[in-house]
Amino acid sequence: MHTLLRDGLPCAALALALSLSSPASHAAGNEIVLGASVQLTGPVANTGRYYKDAYQLAVDQINRKGGVQVGGKKYTLALKIYDNQSDVNLSVRQYTQLVSKDKVNFLLGPFASNFALADSAVSEKYQIPMVQGGGASDQIFSRGFKYVFGTLAPASNYFGSTIAMLKQLKPAPAQIALLYADDAFDVSVAKGTRPLLEKAGLKAVIDERYSSNASDFNTLLSQIKAKQTDAVLVAGHETEILNFIRQAKSLDVSPKLYSFTVGVPSEDFRKALGADAEYAFGMTAWLPSENLKDDWFGDAAQFAKAWGAQYRYEPDYHAASGVSDVEAIVKAIEKAGSLDPKAVRDALAASDFQSLYGHIAFADNGQINLDQVVIQVQNGKPAAVFDGSKFLRDAKYPMPDWSKR
Amino acid sequence: MRPLRIPLILIVLIALALLPLYGSDTIVQFGISTLLLAVLAQGWNIIGGYAGYPSFGNSAFYGLGAYGVGIAMVQWQLPFAVGLALGVILAVVFAICLGIPVLRLKGHYFAIATLALAQVMAAIVSNVELAGQNIGLVLPPLNDDALFYELSLVLLVAATLTVWWLTRSRFGFGLIAIRENEEGAVVMGVDTTRYKVLAFALAGVFSALAGGIHAYWITFLDPESAFDITLNVKMIIMAVFGGPGTILGPIVGSFILSAISEFLSSEVTSIAGLFFGVVIVVAVVLMPRGLADVARRFHRTGWRYFIENIRMHRL
Amino acid sequence: MDLLLQVLVNGILQGGLYAIMALGLALVWGVLNIVNLAHGAFIMLGAYISWYSFSWLGLDPFIGLPLTAVLMFGVGYAIQRGILNLVARAPMFNTLLITFGLEVVLTYLAQLVFSADFRTINPSYSGRNIDVLGVTIPVVRLAASGLAILLTLVMWRFLLHTRLGRAIRATAQNLPAARLHGVEPRHLYAVTFGLGLALAGAAGGLYGTVSQINPYIGATLTAKSFAISIIGGLDTPLGVIAGGLVLGLIEALTTLYVGPTFADVASFGVLVLVLIVRPSGLLGRTA
Repeated sequence: MHTLLRDGLPCAALALALSLSSPASHAAGNEIVLGASVQLTGPVANTGRYYKDAYQLAVDQINRKGGVQVGGKKYTLALKIYDNQSDVNLSVRQYTQLVSKDKVNFLLGPFASNFALADSAVSEKYQIPMVQGGGASDQIFSRGFKYVFGTLAPASNYFGSTIAMLKQLKPAPAQIALLYADDAFDVSVAKGTRPLLEKAGLKAVIDERYSSNASDFNTLLSQIKAKQTDAVLVAGHETEILNFIRQAKSLDVSPKLYSFTVGVPSEDFRKALGADAEYAFGMTAWLPSENLKDDWFGDAAQFAKAWGAQYRYEPDYHAASGVSDVEAIVKAIEKAGSLDPKAVRDALAASDFQSLYGHIAFADNGQINLDQVVIQVQNGKPAAVFDGSKFLRDAKYPMPDWSKR
Repeated sequence: MRPLRIPLILIVLIALALLPLYGSDTIVQFGISTLLLAVLAQGWNIIGGYAGYPSFGNSAFYGLGAYGVGIAMVQWQLPFAVGLALGVILAVVFAICLGIPVLRLKGHYFAIATLALAQVMAAIVSNVELAGQNIGLVLPPLNDDALFYELSLVLLVAATLTVWWLTRSRFGFGLIAIRENEEGAVVMGVDTTRYKVLAFALAGVFSALAGGIHAYWITFLDPESAFDITLNVKMIIMAVFGGPGTILGPIVGSFILSAISEFLSSEVTSIAGLFFGVVIVVAVVLMPRGLADVARRFHRTGWRYFIENIRMHRL
Repeated sequence: MDLLLQVLVNGILQGGLYAIMALGLALVWGVLNIVNLAHGAFIMLGAYISWYSFSWLGLDPFIGLPLTAVLMFGVGYAIQRGILNLVARAPMFNTLLITFGLEVVLTYLAQLVFSADFRTINPSYSGRNIDVLGVTIPVVRLAASGLAILLTLVMWRFLLHTRLGRAIRATAQNLPAARLHGVEPRHLYAVTFGLGLALAGAAGGLYGTVSQINPYIGATLTAKSFAISIIGGLDTPLGVIAGGLVLGLIEALTTLYVGPTFADVASFGVLVLVLIVRPSGLLGRTA
């Protein structure tokens, strides 16, 4: 009897598993389903949630304003989101499930370059267009894939406008430190930043790669102080940059300027640092300005207000990027006049419209090109300081010693 | 072998082998994942279940196998089979060089040493340029899930047959002797060092092959996902849940736990991770010797089986 | 400033923080032979308690440490009495697995309750530092190191020279004999585990002032605590000081001379080396 039980167990398990393959859910008659696997739990969840919220807000707003017109028929948008628990492997399996079992029409992306790198292999395999606003690493777009599009500006150019600004500051910084985490995005940033520094005649006296999720920057900070570095450029993640700034304060390290690839635009980052966030530079390809007009939200300022009212926190460029992904797909569908993946993919490649995120157009490799605006935390709020060629307002430079703040 | 068992196993095997024909894409994907986990659990069974040396670092072998395939295919443009072989070679070298010193440790010191080794490997590889450092490698895509599925199934059968052979070989008896009373085994003339290293290497070979297949299937690897530390506990809990030191225990454990975990991931996502933690705690308290033991004793002792376990082990 | 001197001081101060992180783990492990794979998760829990005390009650993290410690003691007592005591006489392996399960559960509960946002404990003096001979010494880290040494000495004295401490050691060494002397082992084990967690909680409170808190810091903290405990040796509570210092210095010097991405290779490499060559640790009696 118990042998039957013992051998029956694998059968039972199999049966249980097979029951999971219930008939595939097809979208209701006139529904367009967009699928995504996003980090809702796990270490990067606090940025991942921007994307889920963005997709949801965009879908709701577009439906509210009349949905999508395809060949004379009206369609509503629907969203299917899975939580990949910040696990890349799970994310890949979930995208496969979205395509093969849930049979979604189109895909939206996850957050983070390493996720986008792995997940875009799925969209390419099944030839379903994926528009992602979370991965900026050059690697994603250098594989000749035709079905992935990205609305984050190229990683290699993140410090472009910052370096242009450095040359116009007085006294001009001469000794630069470049620190970067060892993940796909930040390595791309560093690789692109080095030639920019060279061209600008600036010398990187410190050029160090550190482990992602590092919490101890004491040694690096001591090296920065010992070499009397003028400007520090850090490409990393919010938690690392948080630690960096706090430890800089406790070790009394204050270069004339420091600039970070992430953190400064986000509300909870500034809140966690409190007054210590002041003077920090960052960049964003998006600011909630009224000049960014949008077909569904009016303009970026109205979008920011709607977001705040719905979600009770401020949006940043991740949010705007996510919304623009949904808009890009809708525009492409309407342009192609069909839901055929290939036709929509071709329409996406030819995208050319204004949105609350900026001008949406993709280069041949599928990536958007937007300029970064240099921002600085001034009086607790991110202020646009330099737009790539000229100053929009005065920069608070050089940064005073910690003891004199 | 009881007469009913072999045909039953064959039927299950054939049903599994034909899955790609009648199952959906998602099921095949789930199947590959589960089969590979079962291979890991079975590999662990050899060193942890039979030899009694609970390795918390088999993910090191898994990662070596993955990187063997990755480096061979991406950096040197060699075929998949060569990559698998490279992974196996790396695993065996690792098992011998590091196994000999580490297998001298007992009990939880061994467990921690293996865990530390896994961490060191991940840290080292994230600095190796040939391996793509911390960014990892992107493999050429191969759109053939059925192939990966069958490969994984073959690997699991191979691992299980190895364990079966173990139970009737001198080597296997030697391992069990080591587990029950190592000093006694030495006195009886068992070459414990050689046997332990061999068991460790066997576990390593299967783990490496699983890692290699997984890497090619996912077409992507980086130190964090290749040397995934959580895999260690997953494979252990699957082997323990099913029954360590038995032939089919780890397979049953991995099938059941994977099925429930996948179901949770797709339906009640926020609790999926919690599930494993709760299962571990409950299983270790109520059925530390796994389902195999439950199946064996339940019809004699009934529900008292679980209480007995607690009574035996509590303070 | 002398870079090497500053880096050495950084390493020593980090070592102090490490020592206090590992103290709870080493206590429970060395005395009760309970290997707590969830130790880091409890540090995380303590950090959150301190954060809430600071944010809601305005309690300074140092002054609020006793509160955090008492609450965590309660948690530890309950967990040992309710769950861990159930497998106390089972093979050690079972405790390893159960505590790992606890770690998973705690991390997910923390995420559910506290959300994935990161938080910091920012008292007004958090960035203050003093300058000694050209070396900048952060005040908070100095205090944490001082506290680590103090607590370690207190633990050492407690275990060796008080009745309760001796009772705990006796129970761990010879359970039947201890019972014969009227000791109630379930209670004692729970008290010890509670102490271990109280120390972890205190460490968490300190950690929150120098770094940031989120539900996922547990795993790394556990790994570091293990390395510290083993490198220093479990035979005496003073081991964590040795272990902490060694780890702190190794990481600092590796970062300076080899590169920041090699710090983990060095720390875990040293751990493996110690396990292979001298498993009883630097201060352990090789028996």
